[in-house]
Amino acid sequence: MEPLDDRELDKILQQWQAPGAPPSLAVKVLPQRPSWWSWVLTGTIPVPVPLGIALVVAIAVFFYFRPPNRPEPAQPSKSVSLADFQPVKQLEPRIIGRTNETN
Amino acid sequence: MTDAEFRIAFEENKDAVFRFAWRMCGSAAVAEDIAQEVFLTLLRQPGRFDPARGALRPFLLAVARNLALKRWRDDSRLDILEDQFATPAVDLEGREAADALNAAVASLPPLQREVLILAQYEELSLEEIARAVDAEIGTVKSRLHRARENLRRMLAPLRSRNAGRSISHGTLG
Repeated sequence: MEPLDDRELDKILQQWQAPGAPPSLAVKVLPQRPSWWSWVLTGTIPVPVPLGIALVVAIAVFFYFRPPNRPEPAQPSKSVSLADFQPVKQLEPRIIGRTNETN
Repeated sequence: MTDAEFRIAFEENKDAVFRFAWRMCGSAAVAEDIAQEVFLTLLRQPGRFDPARGALRPFLLAVARNLALKRWRDDSRLDILEDQFATPAVDLEGREAADALNAAVASLPPLQREVLILAQYEELSLEEIARAVDAEIGTVKSRLHRARENLRRMLAPLRSRNAGRSISHGTLG
């Protein structure tokens, strides 16, 4: 039998259709996006190493050079108001005289 | 590669990768496994793709091709794999057109089949095919010529039967 020519072969080959990718492929391949609360609980944030080192050094320097705690000025234990002062209700003068003036 | 970039790459290339694997292996299940491995490779090792060396689709098809050949090797079909100059013979008498075409392509040695599929259906250039199959352009031309010669001969019985009917979704082999 005479072989096909190029045009006939191309015509036959063009009719060979293949199925598209099944939907299950996307489920297997695409990473599932976590919900926001899941991200809050288990998520991570990639931090560049230079930035991480700089942060650690900055925190260490802050604590090292932090000024010492100053004692807070003592507060008066109790505030005093003029209302606490009462006029003398009864004056009882007492005269103490010299009983012996021999000197 | 960001998550958004990967999703775009997947949507743009999933059908091509699956189709290629399906035509190479003749099984939807195997093709899905291969396509899955291809995209997971891209996701886990994005550095393997160098845009300076070519487009993404030929790279993904090359990964799919290597995975398909690995399956052949794992199935101890090295003799068929290495025999790229084989002249396949398949009896197409009495077969339906879809079966005949599937059987003819499936009977091609894998190294002929892959260049035929990449050139005929994925429309890769000879340079891209050569890069994908890790061979010289002259070797690719030779394999493609042999593949077409074999198909011309094997598919000759379809000449009288081929009246524009669509040959689709048959199973290889």
